[in-house]
Amino acid sequence: MSPRASGATKRRRTIPAIDRLGGLLLGLVAGFALLLLVAPSLIVIAISFEPRAFISFPPSGFSLRWYWAVFENRQLTDSILVSLEVATLVMLAALLLGVPAAFASVRGTFPGKAGANAFLLAPQMMPGMVIGIAMLFFGAYVGFRASDLMLVVALTVFCIPFTIRIVMARLAGLDPRLDEASANLGAGPAETFLRVTVPQLGPALLAAAAFTFIEAFDNVTVALFTSDVRGRPLPVELYYLVQNDSTPAIAAISAMEIMLSFVVMLVIARTVGLERLGR
Amino acid sequence: MTQIEIAGVGKRFGAHQVLRDCTLSIARGQVLTLLGASGCGKTTLLRIIAGFLDPDEGEVRIQGRDITTLPPNRRQVGYVFQNYALFPHLTVAENVAYGLKVRRRPRAEIADRVRAALETVALAGFADRYPARLSGGQQQRVAIARALVLEPEVLLLDEPFNALDAKLRLAMQVELRKLISRVGITSIFVTHDQAEAMTLSDQVAVMREGRIEQLAAPLDLYDRPATPYVATFIGRANVVPVTVRGGAVEGVPGVAAARADGPAALVLRPENLRLLAAGAPGVVWNGRVAFATADGPTMELELDAGLAEPLRAVLPRRAGEAAPAAGTLLGLGIADPAGCAVIPHAG
Repeated sequence: MSPRASGATKRRRTIPAIDRLGGLLLGLVAGFALLLLVAPSLIVIAISFEPRAFISFPPSGFSLRWYWAVFENRQLTDSILVSLEVATLVMLAALLLGVPAAFASVRGTFPGKAGANAFLLAPQMMPGMVIGIAMLFFGAYVGFRASDLMLVVALTVFCIPFTIRIVMARLAGLDPRLDEASANLGAGPAETFLRVTVPQLGPALLAAAAFTFIEAFDNVTVALFTSDVRGRPLPVELYYLVQNDSTPAIAAISAMEIMLSFVVMLVIARTVGLERLGR
Repeated sequence: MTQIEIAGVGKRFGAHQVLRDCTLSIARGQVLTLLGASGCGKTTLLRIIAGFLDPDEGEVRIQGRDITTLPPNRRQVGYVFQNYALFPHLTVAENVAYGLKVRRRPRAEIADRVRAALETVALAGFADRYPARLSGGQQQRVAIARALVLEPEVLLLDEPFNALDAKLRLAMQVELRKLISRVGITSIFVTHDQAEAMTLSDQVAVMREGRIEQLAAPLDLYDRPATPYVATFIGRANVVPVTVRGGAVEGVPGVAAARADGPAALVLRPENLRLLAAGAPGVVWNGRVAFATADGPTMELELDAGLAEPLRAVLPRRAGEAAPAAGTLLGLGIADPAGCAVIPHAG
């Protein structure tokens, strides 16, 4: 073994006490954070199996009756449909607008690019409530009333930074030399886009679609102000429901939403790899 | 027959003039190297030939046809990138097939030509691998096959050996030189490594600050450098300020100078000096040894002869001979006066 390598092993063996203490603390904090993140979800899932008509933890037994109750409740199933429809439209709109925007902000060279980038990502810095109220007031001013369409528009504004950021991160990681190589081999810009860029962007597009969908599906703050009173989306419906009722059906819906997110993440992890999302 | 001509090409990036009035031409089947330190504009010139950049002035012609404004995808010019730029989502065979697919060649023809190209670069067994699972040398060969399969008029290579380790680099340089002469394709290399330029090229263009400083065959560059920069960039050299009078160099007998009278610089390769006793006949410079070292076949010494820089000499060493001690008074003469070059004065 070279002297340098043995020096490195020796150094590793004598980690200063302060570093070990730091490592221990980091582990504790991380564990605590994880507990805070995961425990509420687990408790909600547990509560959803409660056989009795009121919320209690731990549940007094095991029953799926509240899951059936959700689907028997017309108001709830309607709001689930509204949410699915809205989330799908928001996802499509955010992709259609966000992907070209991400291209422009990564690959483009135009005056005012930094300003345009800041503007595109700005809604992320703003509380959803502000976006919701602003949209409502602006809508009142131009005669555009709270409705599914307004909800879609407001949520698209709210969600687009997520879409753009995910696509931007992947785009920035793509080697622009690959485009040049493609051109050098005879491909025009459109063919290069289809043969080189899209295949490599695929995972990021999938991830952006999934995140945007989930975000649009369970957003409350924007939806509270912009959704139609008669056709409330699920999160708003739940919000009103918990005000005057606390049935385990709410826990059952939440548990299903958690499951949905989990399945989406699992699918992404299996097909794309979660670690690639950040890139 | 001239394959490529570059005429008066200039390029500016903002306020920075990257290329100035670059002119050169390359005969069919020749290998030319653009050699220079980083930032000298050599890669910019290569990218202009490929069409990735448009020049501000000048023209690029291939077989007499002006291609200056032709988009890169309509030029018959192969390009091997410094990092190879293989498509990571395609296999080796798909990478090589890319250009043929874009050209909508029939499937059977693509398969045949890809197979032949992979055989040429000795990668027949790797067709179904992805680039990430290849070594640097293999990736380089895929990049070359991907360019050659289209039978381009010219092959451009941007520092193709940079990403390889030193041992592999030498082997690949020889391999690539053999491949290029077998295929007979006109090629332009970019490199900052003068040894690489000497190994690979028929012609070397030494570039400096966006200009072509000298264009010559590799050995001519070494033997007859045109400027002090070339003299010191290609190998090592003593550049001694001298005065030319009547076609001869004053104070240095036997060296002819086909130059007008006045100040000039004498380029003396370290191995063209011989060691003599101080004041002996044939001595041109006397001085004290500033530093000396011997490494078996040769010894190297620096003699402080009162010039701006000490004279450096590389001398053959006889068995049992030790390097002279520092401070010893010695003389240096010129072994072969015809092997010196007299060039314009530095600065």
